[in-house]
Amino acid sequence: MNIVTIPLRNMRRKPAKTLLLLTVFLLGVISIVALYQVSLVVGHSLEKKLTAFGANIVVKPATEKLSVSYGGFHMGDMLLDVKDLRETETTSAIRSIELNDRISVVAPKLVNMFKVDEVAVAVVGVRWEEEIGIKSYWATDGTIPERSDQILLGVLAARKLGLETGDFLTLKNQQFEISGILYETGSDDDSVILMDLSKLQELVAQPGAVSFVEVAALCAGCPIEDIVTQIQTNLPKTSVIALQNVVNQRMSSVRFVQKLALSISLVILITASAMVGLSMLSAVNERKKDIGILRSLGYGKKRVFLIFCLEAAIIGGLAGTLGYLAGYGISLKALEYLGLTDVARPLFSLTQLAFCGLVFPLITVLSALYPAWKGSSIEPSQALVSL
Amino acid sequence: MMQGDPMLNAVNIEKCFPYEDAEVAVLKGVTVHLDEGDYVAIVGRSGSGKTTLLNVLSTLVRPDNGHLTYEGADLSAAAEKELNEIRRADFSVIFQFHHLLPYLSVLENTLLPFMGTLRPVSGQLQQRALDCLERVGLADKARRLPGSLSGGEQQRVAIARALVKSSRILFADEPTGSLDRTTGEQIMELLAELHGEGLTIVMVTHEPAYAKLARRTIEIEDGRIIH
Repeated sequence: MNIVTIPLRNMRRKPAKTLLLLTVFLLGVISIVALYQVSLVVGHSLEKKLTAFGANIVVKPATEKLSVSYGGFHMGDMLLDVKDLRETETTSAIRSIELNDRISVVAPKLVNMFKVDEVAVAVVGVRWEEEIGIKSYWATDGTIPERSDQILLGVLAARKLGLETGDFLTLKNQQFEISGILYETGSDDDSVILMDLSKLQELVAQPGAVSFVEVAALCAGCPIEDIVTQIQTNLPKTSVIALQNVVNQRMSSVRFVQKLALSISLVILITASAMVGLSMLSAVNERKKDIGILRSLGYGKKRVFLIFCLEAAIIGGLAGTLGYLAGYGISLKALEYLGLTDVARPLFSLTQLAFCGLVFPLITVLSALYPAWKGSSIEPSQALVSL
Repeated sequence: MMQGDPMLNAVNIEKCFPYEDAEVAVLKGVTVHLDEGDYVAIVGRSGSGKTTLLNVLSTLVRPDNGHLTYEGADLSAAAEKELNEIRRADFSVIFQFHHLLPYLSVLENTLLPFMGTLRPVSGQLQQRALDCLERVGLADKARRLPGSLSGGEQQRVAIARALVKSSRILFADEPTGSLDRTTGEQIMELLAELHGEGLTIVMVTHEPAYAKLARRTIEIEDGRIIH
């Protein structure tokens, strides 16, 4: 039995009104929590899908460039001390960063120049599974190589060499079957020959060597700079570059979904808060008599103010806690309905539950500040008129 | 406070209330002294200003002019906090109607003056409240809501509340006004009993028979004391 008893009993006196107010705010909290959870998963799913359209980080050997000129004649730039990366060390270093859960694909590559029938052509060694992970837009006439003696040709390379799917090509005295030709991608892939990375390393006698590594990172919830810094720390002798335009394009889509959810949540929250405020304002007029009795018993303005605020806080606390649980449940159902539960599940967090249990009472108290102030400002003489 | 000074002293009290576009003077220089253990009945016709005088004496209404002192301390210009403390600890007011919060039980209403903080009311105080309810014959209805009590029972709960507080002055505004004669007489007997135990009582009434039970009577007419 203390000051909390007064608002609690008052709420019990008018169960229908209390229930209605609680329901309005509860619906607000449920919508906000569900929208937040769904937008997180949808954003995550969207980003995962966008990851299939290329890498957003490139790890390459650190180089020192030297501009050479002699007698006023510029002889071009020279790269000094270029050392290939070690595949295992590099990929495992990338995978072992603190934000490793944000790393989606690590695709190492070795690039070498070959001459085929006197025509110079670049051959790129790749890990097929990883490569397809970041280039799901690839379409081929034929198939992606399944064996190490099969290769894939870019459309321009095939045209230049006059080769078709099913033809054979000899590189360093080894014969390779062309399993497929890429349809035009508009990228560098159009002009190269793609083969299994291990086979190329063996062919050029560079076991374990890679020229660079492409990384696809999921950036929702953490800046790309953090991922870059962590990779750089693990691989100090490399150059790690974020492809900002790719990152920004992806993030703008994810952020749009999240901003939309946030805007809708804000509208719902403002409406629910206004309902709480209006309801409390009408309660002040209804309870003038109560205020008169309390003031005659020595309750000061602060205590009357506190009683109204406590009533709002109880509504907010209940709505916040129950709303989080219900919102989480509804988000699960909504994601099941959208078929996104296989991509990611909403995160149930006790911290979030506690946050809702604390922040929503604060919001309802803020909504009730004016009515509470108005109620506490009623002088005993004014309140006594109703007695 | 000097020995022999009145416990509550109201000197030249004036109070106006706005009415339409004008100010209506309800109290016009009223002076009242109240000694410890006094029992004063304020009588007068409707609209004479007796309830306003009671409200001024109980600090619920501030006078426009004049001085109100309690135990030597000037209450006319006292801070709100000081007045709250006096109302909480020393004064009790019972009204003709609406003296209880309808959503609190009889026991909670009795303990209302002690429920103003987050600290729970002690078991000792709860027991004291039950004893006071026993004293007014309502111990068996401690868990009931006021709505299920008769008018006389509700009035007795308000008196029990004053007892729990160990108030020094009980201000009663027409305490029998809404009750039938038998119940009214029971309430008056209870007040007389409490006065016998040393409680100071100021009561507004328009019943001459009840006014005679008080030690002295103040008659007020048109905002002035005439007797």
